[in-house]
Amino acid sequence: MFQLSIIKDTVAVQPSQFGLPPEQAITNDLNKKYANRVLHDVGLCVCVFDLAEVGEGKVRYGDGCLWYKVIFRMVIFRPFASEVILARVKSSDEDGVRLTVGFFDDIYVPLVYLPEPSAFDSKERAHFWLPGSEATSSHELLDSALTDRMYIDAGDVVRVRVESDEFHDDEPGPPKAHEGVQQAREHRRPPYTIVCSMSEQGLGPTSWWRNAGVETMDEG
Amino acid sequence: MEVLNQRSALLSNFEVLTLLRELESDHLARTKTALRIKKEEEAAGLPPRHQAPPDDVCENLRTVEVEAIQYLSADYQPTSSQCPEGIAQLTRNLAQWDLTKAEKLQIVNLAPTEPVELYVIVEELEDRFGDKMDDILSTVKASLREPAPAVNGTTNGEEHQQAMLVEHVVYSEYQEHYQDTNHWDYDATEVVFDDTGEGAGIEGDLDVEED
Repeated sequence: MFQLSIIKDTVAVQPSQFGLPPEQAITNDLNKKYANRVLHDVGLCVCVFDLAEVGEGKVRYGDGCLWYKVIFRMVIFRPFASEVILARVKSSDEDGVRLTVGFFDDIYVPLVYLPEPSAFDSKERAHFWLPGSEATSSHELLDSALTDRMYIDAGDVVRVRVESDEFHDDEPGPPKAHEGVQQAREHRRPPYTIVCSMSEQGLGPTSWWRNAGVETMDEG
Repeated sequence: MEVLNQRSALLSNFEVLTLLRELESDHLARTKTALRIKKEEEAAGLPPRHQAPPDDVCENLRTVEVEAIQYLSADYQPTSSQCPEGIAQLTRNLAQWDLTKAEKLQIVNLAPTEPVELYVIVEELEDRFGDKMDDILSTVKASLREPAPAVNGTTNGEEHQQAMLVEHVVYSEYQEHYQDTNHWDYDATEVVFDDTGEGAGIEGDLDVEED
């Protein structure tokens, strides 16, 4: 789930921080710049792991800061493809389920990756799975008995396999004004999304599979 | 800014949790010191001299730190019941079977104790390890141990919680507890830190029991 990335950057240490040991001041600055932010094609930066190389602090003409060229390692959150992770269900809608791991919310399970066969119950606002059913249309599935349905409720802990992730680097363009009236903001895509699947045996809410090991292995 | 190596190493959840907990105990210790210095100055009646906090722990870092610690030390994760020796032993034992690096990392992270969980992590489980499945599961079980005292740790958790609030009243009550910094370190690493922000409030400290 977590990996280390080696990054090279230049850091300016303000004069007010000259009292601190330089490693600390540099680490603070790097954390301020990167923590909880998404680096394109790298992942979500969590915190600085350590400083590998730090050049000599140099003073530039024009300001009083000490500039350091640093090479450091950063802890990055980026689950790799086909990794299995535990997450909590945040919300469900007609297009799928949204999961969260606390510090990161943009994990989606689209309809194609839900266990077959399943349907969306708009009254409960939750998807449910009908194990062993041969119904194919959602109409038939919604006719099923409530007790047969295995619901995927909000707040459930689920086990999912990561299928892919996407990075979007959307720059906000200049504000477009149409005849003096500002257009509404277009929907912005999150910079980093993860797509997961829970369609295999063993995936989905952990409560479905607890102490069911032996039976499901026989079926599968 | 240049990314030299996107993935130079993979980290286990336990390593990240340990790192974040250390960072957090550092931050909390610094906040307390800063508060104490401020209090002393006020008590001494000195005019408040403008002194920027020696290090200003950025908000983003605190946010991701707290949330990540919460996620990693949750009950449904095995991370809080792991310890460095257990994991070292687990990786040594896992070496005897032909598992890929990704599979070994996932086994360490998820600590499967049921066959169905192992089935999901390891591809073609029956073909490769049909009869050795139970061995693998028992090795995993052996590497886990009882979670750090979370039960009697709730009172400590509250202590931490109170420390987070910048409230002089609450702070002074716990001053004697934290003066011993070794005690503080011990708590930070052993106890599950349950930070719900300002939720508990001052009333929380009057009730010793938390749900």
